[in-house]
Amino acid sequence: MRSWRSAQGLRAAGVSMAVLGLMASGCGGDGGGAGAGGKVEIRYSWWGGQERAEMINKTIALFEKKNPGIEVKTDFQDYENFWKKFNTQASAGNAPDVFQNSVAFLRKYDDKRVLLDLNAQVKAGNLSMENFRAGLEKAGDVQGKLLGVPVGGNTFALVYNPAEYKKVGVTPAEGWTWDQYNAAIEKISDGGKLAGDSGHGGIMYLYDLVLRQQDKAFFTEDGLGFTEADLKDWWTKHHDQTKAGLYTDPKKAEQAKPTSALSKDLSAGEFTWDNFLVRYTSETKVPLALAPVPTTDGKRTGQYISSLMLSGSARTKHPKEVAQFIDFMVHDPEVGKIMGYDRGVLATNEQFEAYEPVGVSAQIAEYEKKVADNVEPITPHPAGADIAEAAFLRIATDVVMGTTSVDDGVKQFFSEAKTALGS
Amino acid sequence: MGTAMTDLQAPAPPIRDESSEQPSTSGRRPAAARRRARGESLAGYLFMSPWIAGFVLLTAGPMLASLYLAFTDYNLFDTPQWVGLDNFTELFGDPRWQKSVEVTTSYVVVGTPLKLAAALGVALLLTKKRRGQGFYRAAFYAPSLVGASVSIAIVWRALFSDDAIVDRTQKIFGVDVGGWIGDPDMVIYALVALTVWQFGAPMVIFLAGLKQVPRELYEAAEVDGAGAWRRFRSITLPMISPVLFFNLLLETIHSFQIFASAYVVTNSKCGPADAGLVYTCYLYEQGWTNLRMGYASAMAWMLLITVGLVTAVLFWSQRRWVHYEEDAR
Repeated sequence: MRSWRSAQGLRAAGVSMAVLGLMASGCGGDGGGAGAGGKVEIRYSWWGGQERAEMINKTIALFEKKNPGIEVKTDFQDYENFWKKFNTQASAGNAPDVFQNSVAFLRKYDDKRVLLDLNAQVKAGNLSMENFRAGLEKAGDVQGKLLGVPVGGNTFALVYNPAEYKKVGVTPAEGWTWDQYNAAIEKISDGGKLAGDSGHGGIMYLYDLVLRQQDKAFFTEDGLGFTEADLKDWWTKHHDQTKAGLYTDPKKAEQAKPTSALSKDLSAGEFTWDNFLVRYTSETKVPLALAPVPTTDGKRTGQYISSLMLSGSARTKHPKEVAQFIDFMVHDPEVGKIMGYDRGVLATNEQFEAYEPVGVSAQIAEYEKKVADNVEPITPHPAGADIAEAAFLRIATDVVMGTTSVDDGVKQFFSEAKTALGS
Repeated sequence: MGTAMTDLQAPAPPIRDESSEQPSTSGRRPAAARRRARGESLAGYLFMSPWIAGFVLLTAGPMLASLYLAFTDYNLFDTPQWVGLDNFTELFGDPRWQKSVEVTTSYVVVGTPLKLAAALGVALLLTKKRRGQGFYRAAFYAPSLVGASVSIAIVWRALFSDDAIVDRTQKIFGVDVGGWIGDPDMVIYALVALTVWQFGAPMVIFLAGLKQVPRELYEAAEVDGAGAWRRFRSITLPMISPVLFFNLLLETIHSFQIFASAYVVTNSKCGPADAGLVYTCYLYEQGWTNLRMGYASAMAWMLLITVGLVTAVLFWSQRRWVHYEEDAR
C-alpha cells in the first residue's frame, strides 16, 4: 500500500522487537539471596493494617541497625488476602523467609512442608526459647517440632460499652453466666437504640469456649469436637435472638465491615480477642472495656492463651538469619516498647517488663492478669481448620439472614468441614 | 458498510465475511517476488512473535495444564492425584456451586440487556448533531475506562452501603430497604448497576453503527408518515442489528466473567449469605483459599463450555433477527 513497506526495514524491526521481548521476559529473574553490598536479604510478611505496618517498620529499622549484615524486605496485606498471596508464594517454593502465623495454620502448613523447624536454630544458639510468659513457648510446638515463636498472647474477651451496661445495672465480672449475659443484652436492646451484642453465632473461637465449658471443643486433633445437635442448639438460639433484636441487624453489621459493629456504635458489646480493644478504641470515641466470657456453671470459662507467631519458611536459604531475626523480634525490649499490645500481650518477660502499658494497653494487661489464673491449655487445630472456620462464619451469616434454615445450615457446615478437614 | 467503520474495527463484517474475498496467492510469480513475499511473511511472524509467545506461554499452556488439573485432586503443594470425573460429579452436588451458577445467571440475564439498552439509548441521544457532542461522548465513555478498576468498586461499595448516599436518597422517596451491600436480596443489583454504568464501550460501537444507517431510509419513512417509534423499530433496529449482535455477544461473554467488582464490592466475601457469589468468585475461593486447584479447574472448564454454548446459541439465533446488507442484495 505504501512505499515504506520495505521487507528489509520490516525484518530489522521485527528482529529487534523479538529480541526486546525475549530480554524483557528473561531478565526478570530474582536474585533471591544476597542484597545490595553483599548483605543477606530476608523477606518478612505479615497481615494487619497500616498502623501495625508502621510499628513493624520501626522495629525493622532497629534490627537492621543492630545487624548491619542483614537486610529485611517487607510485605503486608489484610488477613484474607495475606493467605491467598502466601499460598501462591509457598506453592511456588517462594514463601517469605519469615512471616506472621497463628495456631490455625500450623498443622496445615506443616503438612505441606512449608514451615521451618526452628529447633536446630535453638540448639545452635541463634534463637532463645527462654523467658516466655505463661507457657507461651509451647504455642508453636507441633509434635516436637518448633514451627512458630509467639510474639504476643491473647485471650478471648467481651469488649463492651460500660456506659450501656451501667444503664441497665449489670456489671460483667468473673464467673458471670450466660443467663445473666442474655438478660443484660435483652435489657440493653429493649431500652436503647443499640443492640446488646454485635452477633456471635459465627465466631468459631467463642463457640469453642462455650463447647469447652461443656467438656467438648470445636476442634479435636483431626476433626470436629461437637455434634450436629450441639450446633443446631447454638444456631437456633442465635437465629431467634437475632429475630428478637438482641443482636445488631446482620445486614448493617455486614456493611460496617471492616469496622466492627461495636466500634460503629451499632451494639453494646462484641466477643473478640482482647488485643482488638486497641483497634476498636481507635475507631470509636465511646469508651470501651474488657469483660471475661460468661460461663455455663459460674466457674469455667474454657479460656486459653492464643498467640500470633513468627514462623520461618522451610525453603529459606538463610535459616540462621531468620532465627536471629525472630530472636530479636521476640526478645528485644525496644521492640516490645514499639509494638505494645498490638499483637497481644508481649510474649517474653524482657518485652513485657520493658513496655509500660498505658491507656487501652493497661486495660488489656489488667484483663490478662485476671484471667491468667484460669487459662487452660489450647486445643491444637487440625489442618483445614482455617477453611472450616471460614465456612462456620459464612453459614452462620446465612442462617441469621434467613437465607438458610438452621437445619440446612448445620448439614452444610458439617459437610464442608468434613471436606476441609479430610475426615 | 464495512469501510467507513474500520476506524472502530468494524465489529460486524469480520464475523461474517471470513476471508473469502482475499485474492488467491497461489498463482505463478517471479522468484524475486516470491522471495519478497517470504521476507514479508517472516517479518510478519516476527512482529507477531511477542503475541504468539505470550499466547503459548500465558494462555495455551495454562489452559492445557488446567484441563489436566480438572481431572485431578491438586492442592498446589503436593503432586496432582488423578481422580477422573470426580470433580465434575462433585460440582453438580455442590449447593454453593449451584448458588454461584444462579447468581451469575441472574447477573448476566438482568445486567446485559440493561447495559445494552443504556448504551443504545445514550448512543441514540448522541448521534444528533449538537454543541459539545464530543464532550458528551467522552463523558459517557469515561466510566468504562475506569470501570474495571478496583478503586471504582470501592467507591461503589461506599455509595451503596448502609446509610450512604443511595440509602439516604431512597429514604427521601419513602423507600427504606437499607444499604444494598448487606442485603442478600439487593447486593446483586448493586453489581448490575455497576456494570450498566459502564456502558461506554458498547455505546461507542452503537454510535458507529447508527452513523451507517442511510439517511434516505428515514426520509422515505417520514414521507410515508412513520413516527419516531416506528422508524426506530423498522429502520434503526434492523439496520444496526449486526452491531447489536456484536455487542450482545461481547457483553454476554464479559458478564459471565465478572470477578473484580463483585470481589471488591462485597469486601472479598462475595456475600452476604453468598448473595454475591458470582461464579469466578467461588472458583477463586476454591482455588486460592481452599487450595482445591483441581476443583477450581473443573469449574473453569464448565464456565468455558457454558460460555461456548451460549455463544453458539446466539450465533444460531442471529439468522432470525440479524440483518446483513449483503443478504438483501
